Amino acid sequence: MRVKYRKLLPFILPALLIYMTFIIYPFAYSFFLSFFSWNGVGEKIFVGIKNFKEMLFGNYSKEFFNALGHNIYIFIMLTIFELGLGFVIATLLATNIKGRRVFQTIAYLPNIISMVLVGFIWSMMLNPQWGLINQFLRTIGLGFLAKPWLGDPNTALNTIIFVNIWRNVGFYVLVMLAAIIDIPPELFEAAYMDGASNWKVVWRIIFPLTVPTFQTLVVLLFIWSFNIFDVVYALEGVQAGPFRSTDVLGTLFYRTAFGGLGSAATDLGLGAAVAVLIFMMVIPLSLLYVFLVERRSKR
Amino acid sequence: MKKFVLMVLLFLFVFSLTIAQSNVVSIWSWRTQDQEVWQKVEKVLNERGINVKIDFRAFIPTEYDSKMLIALQSGTGPDIVYSRRLPGGRTKNLIDAGLLVPITDKVDFSHFSPSVLNFIKDNDEVYGVPFAVQVVGIFYNKDIYDKYGLKEPETWDELVENARILKKNGVTPFFIPGKEAWALAMQHAMCGVSVLGPEWIEKLEKGETDFMDPKWIDLNRRLNELKQFYQDGFLANSTDDMNAAFAFEQAAMVFYGIWGLQQWRNLNPEINVGYFMVPPVSKDQKPYAYVYMDGALALTSNSKNPELALEVLKFAATPEFGTIFSNITFNIPGMMGATTPDDPLFREAVEVAEKHASPKVYWVGSIFVTQKPSLYDDVLAPGMQEMYAGKITPEEFAKKAQDALSQWFEPLKKRLGK
Repeated sequence: MRVKYRKLLPFILPALLIYMTFIIYPFAYSFFLSFFSWNGVGEKIFVGIKNFKEMLFGNYSKEFFNALGHNIYIFIMLTIFELGLGFVIATLLATNIKGRRVFQTIAYLPNIISMVLVGFIWSMMLNPQWGLINQFLRTIGLGFLAKPWLGDPNTALNTIIFVNIWRNVGFYVLVMLAAIIDIPPELFEAAYMDGASNWKVVWRIIFPLTVPTFQTLVVLLFIWSFNIFDVVYALEGVQAGPFRSTDVLGTLFYRTAFGGLGSAATDLGLGAAVAVLIFMMVIPLSLLYVFLVERRSKR
Repeated sequence: MKKFVLMVLLFLFVFSLTIAQSNVVSIWSWRTQDQEVWQKVEKVLNERGINVKIDFRAFIPTEYDSKMLIALQSGTGPDIVYSRRLPGGRTKNLIDAGLLVPITDKVDFSHFSPSVLNFIKDNDEVYGVPFAVQVVGIFYNKDIYDKYGLKEPETWDELVENARILKKNGVTPFFIPGKEAWALAMQHAMCGVSVLGPEWIEKLEKGETDFMDPKWIDLNRRLNELKQFYQDGFLANSTDDMNAAFAFEQAAMVFYGIWGLQQWRNLNPEINVGYFMVPPVSKDQKPYAYVYMDGALALTSNSKNPELALEVLKFAATPEFGTIFSNITFNIPGMMGATTPDDPLFREAVEVAEKHASPKVYWVGSIFVTQKPSLYDDVLAPGMQEMYAGKITPEEFAKKAQDALSQWFEPLKKRLGK
């Protein structure tokens, strides 16, 4: 039976309206705004591609590429550690060890805490004078390792990445665990009957069969890594200190569009240009994600 | 019949709502601590027969400006907004767009000094009632100073010597919130008014000198050398850490503002705090304090109740308001003649604001922060952290300022032949 589109319309319309209002319109407006210089009130001055030139080759290029480099670094580190740890923990949990449910809950627990709270908790833990981390290091005789974690440009970004992993790894554990559970148990039984070691089972069976899940998660991680803002904001503020050593495109966007400190001038057009550039980097990978998900659902 | 009764009831409900709303004056701010001030003001005005209900709302400071801007543009803004000082892009934009209404002849400004009013004047029109003046400088623990026989330094070298004695005795001389770049920019600026002096800053404004001047580089060097007296890991500390450490006597001195006093006293009522301006290089130089107007109460073009809002602003310009404001918030009121809290340190800060304010500055309230790259956001804030972390030299820090400001600051561009 053919369904007439006219009849479907009333069902689609509410969602479509919401999508147009909150997704399509703001994006289209940002794109439009990126060709203007506008401080938020009054006249918008058309400047053509000047905002993009400023960002890519002009006065802001150093800040832009510094932030972009950090986004790429964050993506690489999160891919290695969040996915890697997620896979390892999920494999251990899949072995039906005692207290599996408890470990599963513990791994996922940080994921339900809001990022603002995570920022607050870790700011306290990492305090150079009375923070738990440095106190612990001093207690076990490793005082020489105690550092101003968020104040040292050599450790600040990696500390933020660590906090991010602490909070999000539970999500990857759950997804990987679901993928592992999905593997037919006969494959494991056959492998063990043929005398395969645990390592061989992981490497020859579990890993190859979870590759599609890896693919999807890597694409998602790429998108999230390029939109990262909250964890940097919560731990270092929009100034992304010390001296921009934790700056990402999200914080650069915030500073250019809404201003950073005090009474500095702002330019929403310049901020919109950053948003468009982020979009242009993320969209090809988003399309790849859709392609991968579609392909998997067709199987 | 039922329908008729329902209609009447509905009419009465809408009518009562309209009546109830007609005496409401809404005020938006970034200062949560002012809630009690407005409750008191409402009570005083009601006692005087002015039937007003003040609806005060405070927003997170970092989100306040954009929320206020969007609301004013869409016509849903409040009657009165807390506006930032001039010169400054944000308030200037609101004025240019006609969203703030001039109140020059509508409010009696006789209790305000011209220097304070200048912070909210544009084209000879006054756009708000200044509510607070802030004084920044060095706050110190008097008990610690007394214990080691120290006195308030009159020169930079004496300040360094005090720090040396404290360090030798196991006391942290300075607690610096290095994670918060704004506080480091403020530190540079408060040292600059005394070490460089307002005459030098005036020359900078006129393009008669620049950031590569040995004096500016020397100030950078002095600050960089002072870091040996800061707490370990100071680049990772926030102002909350600093307030706690200073209040609980873990450090002898802080570079901060008078607004910190309320919190230090709340944390430790026994703390004995003193204040001095950053000392200049030699005794023949006069020390100055960095004093700035914090913000003003401005009437908006969105106001549904402009007459009543004006009554509120008229009261806010009286010393009586200043008395309420300063006794609740422990901030220096914008006007003169208010009865401020009976506290020696607070009185000293008021005196400093009146007699020792630097007439020329280069941080908030200055021309150097009105465009991007700004001396505040883009140079001093990240640059101080970079210098303190040992990533750039004082000379390179000066070069950064020169490169950034020479992109738009006309007198400097002219001087450098750009």
